[in-house]
Amino acid sequence: MKLLLYLILLVFLFCTSNAQTTISGKVTDPAGTAIQGANVYLDGTYDGGSTNDNGIFSFTTTEKSIQTLLVSFLSFETFSITTTILEMKDLKIRLKEDVNSLDSVLLNAGTFSAGDNSKASVLTPMDIVTTAGAAGDFIGALQTLPGTSNVSEDGRLFVRGGDAKETNIYIDGLRVFQPFNPTANNIPTRGRFSSFLFNGTNFSTGGYSAEFGDALSSVLLLNTIDEPDQKKTELQLINVGLGAENTQKWNKNSLSINSFYLNLKPYQEIISQRIDWIKPYESLSGETVYRHVFDKGLLKIYGGLSYSNFDLIQEDINRINGINFALKNRNTYINTSYNGDLAPDWKISAGTSFANDHNDIKIDNTTVDNEDNSFHFKVKLRKRFSNRFKLNFGAEQFISSFSEKATTTDFGTFRSAFNNNSTAAFAEGNIFFSKKLAMQIGVRGVHNTLIDVTKISPRASLAYKTSSKSQISLAYGDFYQTAQQEILKYTADLEPEKSSHYIFNYLYQNNNRTFRAEGYYKSYDVLIKYNTNTPEFNSMYTNNGSGYASGVDVFWRDNKSIKNLEYWLSYSYLDTKRDYKNFPTKATPNFAAKHNVSLVTKYWVQDWKSLLSTTYNFASGRPYNNPNQSVFQNSKTKTFNSVDVSWAYLISQQKILYVSVSNVLGFDNVFNYQYANTPNTNGNFSRRTIRPNADRFFIVGFFWTISDNKTDNQLDNL
Amino acid sequence: MIFTVIKSITSEQAQEVCFKKNYTIMKTILILLTFLTLTAINAQSSYEKGMNKAFELWKNNTPEEAINMFERIAKAEKENWLPYYYAAQIHITSTFGSKDAEAIESRLKKAQEYLNESKTIAKENAEIYIMEALLNTAYVAYNPSVYGMTHSAKVEQLYQKAKALEPKNPRAVLYHAEWKMGSAKFFGSDPKAFCPEVEKAILYFENETQDIPFYPKWGKNEVKRVQKNCKG
Repeated sequence: MKLLLYLILLVFLFCTSNAQTTISGKVTDPAGTAIQGANVYLDGTYDGGSTNDNGIFSFTTTEKSIQTLLVSFLSFETFSITTTILEMKDLKIRLKEDVNSLDSVLLNAGTFSAGDNSKASVLTPMDIVTTAGAAGDFIGALQTLPGTSNVSEDGRLFVRGGDAKETNIYIDGLRVFQPFNPTANNIPTRGRFSSFLFNGTNFSTGGYSAEFGDALSSVLLLNTIDEPDQKKTELQLINVGLGAENTQKWNKNSLSINSFYLNLKPYQEIISQRIDWIKPYESLSGETVYRHVFDKGLLKIYGGLSYSNFDLIQEDINRINGINFALKNRNTYINTSYNGDLAPDWKISAGTSFANDHNDIKIDNTTVDNEDNSFHFKVKLRKRFSNRFKLNFGAEQFISSFSEKATTTDFGTFRSAFNNNSTAAFAEGNIFFSKKLAMQIGVRGVHNTLIDVTKISPRASLAYKTSSKSQISLAYGDFYQTAQQEILKYTADLEPEKSSHYIFNYLYQNNNRTFRAEGYYKSYDVLIKYNTNTPEFNSMYTNNGSGYASGVDVFWRDNKSIKNLEYWLSYSYLDTKRDYKNFPTKATPNFAAKHNVSLVTKYWVQDWKSLLSTTYNFASGRPYNNPNQSVFQNSKTKTFNSVDVSWAYLISQQKILYVSVSNVLGFDNVFNYQYANTPNTNGNFSRRTIRPNADRFFIVGFFWTISDNKTDNQLDNL
Repeated sequence: MIFTVIKSITSEQAQEVCFKKNYTIMKTILILLTFLTLTAINAQSSYEKGMNKAFELWKNNTPEEAINMFERIAKAEKENWLPYYYAAQIHITSTFGSKDAEAIESRLKKAQEYLNESKTIAKENAEIYIMEALLNTAYVAYNPSVYGMTHSAKVEQLYQKAKALEPKNPRAVLYHAEWKMGSAKFFGSDPKAFCPEVEKAILYFENETQDIPFYPKWGKNEVKRVQKNCKG
């Protein structure tokens, strides 16, 4: 009987302790539309259910007192409420859209990105390297994007009426001081960095973040690979050089080492050049990347060394025998960065970069020896307040010292030196009002100790999603840039040059097709002027220059319409005039053609196991100054045309044969003219045409990858 | 003991018991006695019930409900990586054959989140690596021009990791073989070279033993599909 009583007691205990509570309510999106299939449950229990097609949920629980109810659904932020069970009745739950999801608005005015993230990218990492005519130089692919001008005798980036020095390059957020190999006039340069080290590229043609400064037009942000996939060795045998790369991985470390030797001598003995080379271009370069994964972060150390030299006679209209120009350059660059979590919702990025650049130049009887040491230190913190509000802020220090010794047989030795140090701080907030409307607002302050000037520049951008496939965005920013080395070595009394950007962007993305149109206006102020042909120690310098650039950039990419074919088409319209350097009046500089067009195609032929790429570049005539005419910079060259083709053939999975030819149709292009300093006997100034060194450039290469899995290849490095 | 039994009684059963509390005591006791013996025989933890229910939902063509169920179990069983693993698997398999880019991207993103969770619970687990390889395969399959280069290398690496941990894991062997057949076809070499691997996988499926309940043992039915590459 005792047992019986126990059992009765138990039954009652059991029933009261297991009293059921029903939890119910409705889940909707911000617009009030019911969400079907949302997961509603008490955290840490098995009690829960899914919403029905009216967004209604209802389930019972035996839990007591205070509990946390979670509601989750794909593309929405997880909702949570902690309260007593009894109050969880007839809940009205409005889920917030996850602003990090794929269909959210993008703050993209001014920016092109190439990377893994298909949301923001207009180019894939592959595009950067498989574009015909780029010849493995990642800068080459960017030159097919709208907003850049075709200045193929230079090789650097000319963005929206700005000259090449107005673009700065960063690796892992740290400044690269000498991103390009030095060359002589009219010989295109190449980036110093091998493309296989990078997996993300952000190219801003204007209106960029407050994190970056000291560039009037553009920044190019490159990110090195976080973690290589596997151990491998890669070999490159090319008609102009050879290279090798090796990647090792162990525990939480990885190390990649590569080197490349380039010698144009054998090539130039076969294919005639318009330049009289005494010693053709030769370079040796090596790079190393070491990465270590910590529990909460990633350390990367990049080091690059390069040595290059050449000696040539440059044709010159004023000098019958031409000018002898020889150069030896030695460059060391070290970049160390750490990215990691500091505390919940806090991230830190910190790093330093250091560059030592040494040039040994000979121009006829003048020898110039210069050395540049540059240092960049940066700390950036990122605080996430919510998915909707994030704040970035940080500080950076630049230290640079330059010294030069010029010796001529006639005038003796001339020395110049300066230290150019600056300190900057920046803060920027990212605010998502909704999935449709977002804003980024920032400010940057910089103090330069050499010229003793402090400047504050505001930056702002706004984006609004007009439909599920399209959006518009606006950007504004002020940008300052200190004078370059060639002027700073003679004077430190100049204000930094200034530009302001106003950008309007429209973006349409649907099913592997992208249309992007961007209109902009850019004003230039306090530009540096001088009264001599080139900056000299006795020139008169002022800040009286000014100018503007306005235009429209259009980009269309289609990966969908034709099977195995991807193509993109870029068009840039540019209207720009400026009064700078030694210009007598406002005029369009030689590098700024009014119309630029690029058409890039990539066609995969399965049967031939081949990737066929072509690039067509067109530029309207470029302005030049004809002293036989009274108006300055009033003439135009003929139009520029070039068709570049390349063919990558997969001999087997890890062996590739690569052939490329630039300007395959042999268009006779003219970049500019050089006029004589003095008129001839007829009273006319005679001229010399500035043309490419050779009409075509051929590359034949063999690329071999050796790895354990035997599937990798170097198609992504061509 | 008695408490674990009571705890395991589901709510419906409990309701039944409560409903009858107004009947005679004898009747209640009788019912209760039968009830207790029944549950004692069929002792099933809520984990097992939950998992069974989730698999049933999946089988009955309500994969979204199944994902929700797995997610709830995962949140309740903080030391168990399996519910996250299966939630990820449903997301991944539902992208195969789909054309809706937005849905694919958000599903794969979510699946990666689930796998990351399971990796924090079970470090160096071959099954999770295999699932992650399938996830990366899904990226490659849906947009080869964007993800082909970058994600293919990951797939390869993940299978190798899985095989290093469990050389005789039938899923690792089978799916790795299928992946290699795919790239062999793409590069114009003979996919049949990997048929012996499939044979090995069949053998490993036969010998597969695993005591942990709900431990992955799927994949045997896929052998025929993969073997199609070996005919002709």
